[in-house]
Amino acid sequence: MTTTVLSAPASSAAAPVRRNKRRAKPRTMVFAILGYAVALIFILPYVEMVITALRPPDELLSRGYLPKHYDWSNFTTLWKTGFGGSIWTSVKIAGGATLLVLVVALPAAYYTARRRFRGRALFLLLVLATQMFQPAAMLVGIQREFNDLNLPSPTYSLILVNAGFNLAFAVWILNAYFSSIPAELEEAAMIDGTSRIGALRRITLPLALPGVVTALIFTFIGAWNELIVALTLSLSATPNHRPITVTLNNYIGQYSIDWGHLFAGSVIATIPVIVLFGFIEGKVVGGLTAGSIK
Amino acid sequence: MSSPVVLRRVGRAAQPLLWIGPAIALIAVVVLWPVVVMFRTSFQHISPDGYVLGSAGGKNYSNLFDEPDLSAVLIRTAVWVVVVVTVTMAISLAIAQLFNQRFPGRRVARWALIAPWAASVMMTALIFRRALDAGSGVINVLLHDMGIVKHFNSNQADWLGRQWSALVWMMVVAIFVSVPFSTYALLAGLQTIPSDVYEAARIDGASKWQIYRAITLPLLRPAFLVATLINVINVFNSFPIIWEMTRGAPAHETATTTVFMFQLKQSYIGESASLSVLNFGLVIIVVLLFLRATRWREQVS
Amino acid sequence: MRRGLLVTTALSAAAVLALGACSSSKGGGGSSGGSVSLKLVAADYGTGPANSSQKYWDGIADAFHKQNPKITVKVQTINWNDFDNQVQTMVQNHQLPDITEGDYFSNYAQEGLLYKTSEVLSNPGNLLPVFAKLGSFEGTQYGLPFTTSSRTLFYNKKLFADAGISAAPQTWADVQADAAKIKAKGKIGFGLPLGSEEAQAESLLWMLGNGGNYTDSSGKWTIDSAQNVETFQFLKQLVSSGDTEPNPGAKNRTDLWKQFAQGEIGMINGSPALIPIIESGKVLTDSDWASVPIAGKSGPLTSTLGVCDFVAAFKNGGSKQAAIKKFLDFAYQDKYQLQFDKEYDLLPATTSASNALSSDPIFGSFLKALPNAVQYPSSTVWANVKTQIQQTVGTAVTGDPKSVLGAIQKTAEKGA
Repeated sequence: MTTTVLSAPASSAAAPVRRNKRRAKPRTMVFAILGYAVALIFILPYVEMVITALRPPDELLSRGYLPKHYDWSNFTTLWKTGFGGSIWTSVKIAGGATLLVLVVALPAAYYTARRRFRGRALFLLLVLATQMFQPAAMLVGIQREFNDLNLPSPTYSLILVNAGFNLAFAVWILNAYFSSIPAELEEAAMIDGTSRIGALRRITLPLALPGVVTALIFTFIGAWNELIVALTLSLSATPNHRPITVTLNNYIGQYSIDWGHLFAGSVIATIPVIVLFGFIEGKVVGGLTAGSIK
Repeated sequence: MSSPVVLRRVGRAAQPLLWIGPAIALIAVVVLWPVVVMFRTSFQHISPDGYVLGSAGGKNYSNLFDEPDLSAVLIRTAVWVVVVVTVTMAISLAIAQLFNQRFPGRRVARWALIAPWAASVMMTALIFRRALDAGSGVINVLLHDMGIVKHFNSNQADWLGRQWSALVWMMVVAIFVSVPFSTYALLAGLQTIPSDVYEAARIDGASKWQIYRAITLPLLRPAFLVATLINVINVFNSFPIIWEMTRGAPAHETATTTVFMFQLKQSYIGESASLSVLNFGLVIIVVLLFLRATRWREQVS
Repeated sequence: MRRGLLVTTALSAAAVLALGACSSSKGGGGSSGGSVSLKLVAADYGTGPANSSQKYWDGIADAFHKQNPKITVKVQTINWNDFDNQVQTMVQNHQLPDITEGDYFSNYAQEGLLYKTSEVLSNPGNLLPVFAKLGSFEGTQYGLPFTTSSRTLFYNKKLFADAGISAAPQTWADVQADAAKIKAKGKIGFGLPLGSEEAQAESLLWMLGNGGNYTDSSGKWTIDSAQNVETFQFLKQLVSSGDTEPNPGAKNRTDLWKQFAQGEIGMINGSPALIPIIESGKVLTDSDWASVPIAGKSGPLTSTLGVCDFVAAFKNGGSKQAAIKKFLDFAYQDKYQLQFDKEYDLLPATTSASNALSSDPIFGSFLKALPNAVQYPSSTVWANVKTQIQQTVGTAVTGDPKSVLGAIQKTAEKGA
């Protein structure tokens, strides 16, 4: 493993890499094999999830690695019970939370990165502190609070909760990103007559885009997969107004677990997330880079 | 003092609020308020169906500390956090360095690593629960074919039914879902190390191991610490894995504090709230100790 | 510093006000212009998307609305596992449903939130009398039995034949001998769900087999009685010789029933709700299994555990009593009782519907067991005791039965 650090980091200048290339061939093979092995380990459980979803009922507990017959009915019957509505509800919750985080975190992160003001340290500490608190640990409080608030629909409550608990990470990453962009760039633009907002929009935001995308995707995925608060707050909603995690959880019934539908639904719910990640895979590393040098 | 001066001072004081006010409001409503409710609940006497029957004084806390299982649960939680976070960071460090190498198909391999991150933890826990089924779980089928598991439906095949084997498997799942984020954080850290630092070291005739010790590890430290801290908090509060795989059974033998809190919540809401408060205290202490040990302050400033 | 704190408080207060402002749209749903809207909250008995209870209740609500255009019934079904919790939350929020169907809590009667049975049903005499006590608080009935079930022993005839066993087990000795033979064939002898899901039911069935119970006839707790300790010593010995699935304390009914349906288990205590799971498993045919009275220490049980779910009517201000009564009279017709029982393989809760079903080949044997069924204690402490049984009784078959049962007894005696 120790030898590996010698070749240049992947995304930096290509020239030194090319120089090493011919010499490193057998080593590259070893890396490739190891890399594929790791990838396989991390993907296998989800392959098993798909296989289980495709097992016909009478092969559910058979000991073959693969079923003798494939049964797609779990994927079709699912839609008869408001599963589509659940997906839409989850889109609203995750989308709403992401939007709210964007609106709230962006100015806070920008201002704390650019200005030194009284209470700045306190504010950053507050943000860091919220990262320590997780909804699972304070469910009793959340449940009682939102009972009292009595919002018109659990969707609103869940947007608020998901935004609140993902805010810290977004502020932290964005703050690091803005800090890494020299203020002089904006000032130069402002001398040319652009307003501060204009400079922010035209100069800083585009440069900070990887960080913004990372923060937003994290929020979206966090909200999309959130289960515990959703389970507590969205029970009074009709089936197609419950988020997808709650709907899936309902396949764990009083008398039996409906593995087929549970996993079929899980597959469908996970695909959009994997696709989202696929789009931004490179950016995640970039986005986290700024976060980690701080 | 004339009013324009006051106004200007108020204006100057209010300017930060314009920018950070919304964030403070959101945190106050969603995070701080429930904490306050939680504290209040921990001093209330509440019936199992949620009626507040009056003040409990310190009764919830004394009941909590009288729970015969509490100390075992606390020790188990400590073991759980230390093992999961340590192994996660070790594996992530290895994978991050592997995935920082150039090899054909690297993008796809990195992408595959994202799966446990993209799927909800609940799903992953349920997949493993099924795969560990004593009669037909695919992991047992594999172990049986390898000759490790002798009989299906035996005590040996029933990994989730025994305290320690259940805990070990649940730790495996916890590590499995924690590695992707940690790896990506470390990968990001590795990429911030400028390549000319290595060039310079090599010109100075440093050995590979020396370079790794003297350059890579120290420069990776900030990323490593951030990832570790986030893991500590997440693993401490981790709930779905244990809940979906054993529900803390048998009895409370596989419960951590978060799970134990849920088990208590069914009958003793006040006592459960006081355990939440204790939980907070613990998280804060652990984080402060961590920050102090790593001299975080110097890192940030 | 202090100013920052003040501002925080002010801001959160403002946020609360803003949030509070948009909340008034909900609630009420009462009577306007002579028309009434009823909110019905029901537990979902379905095993999957195809047979959700929402359909059943929507069907009744629609038919009822056609006859009574001025009354609309809004149906909401909730996953069984979350039903109690959710109704509790509604009560805490003062957003009372008008009618619930699922578990019933004497606490709500105690709080004065419920209508008496006689106020909301024209013919309460038709409800099965054996369950009346369980739905009562201080001698007055508030819970209307809606659906019932009883427990019997299911066994896999195919596995029995393979193992060379000719007769169904009647005594504990039979259970142990048969389980050992089935185990020798590589399957699980007896499925014993003592995990947190339903351990209180399984425990009681075994206690009954030795003349024990949770309480004696005067209502005194007898959880750690000599008979019960002996019962768990038998179970402990059954478990340690490998005649059950491994580690019963961590096994739940949902998993074991599924395994029985897949032909992996020789014997298991079940209710009619196991039948649809067997059918949907598509492994066992109707002739591959049978159900008989539960085996006791020296002979089959003469009385078994009867379980009943209730309808309760909440007094939302008191203006909807007539509408609720109309609806419940409608919903309690035999045809709807029977439809429910056919759909979920449960048993009726009215005498007239039971009579209509008594000759049914499958349901008949369960129905016969109903009239002398045993029920859970009706004490208000039971909720806490039940939770502790669910969480800890499984350790009685690995550890020391006497101390485990003793600890539960202590909780029961301590009171709420």
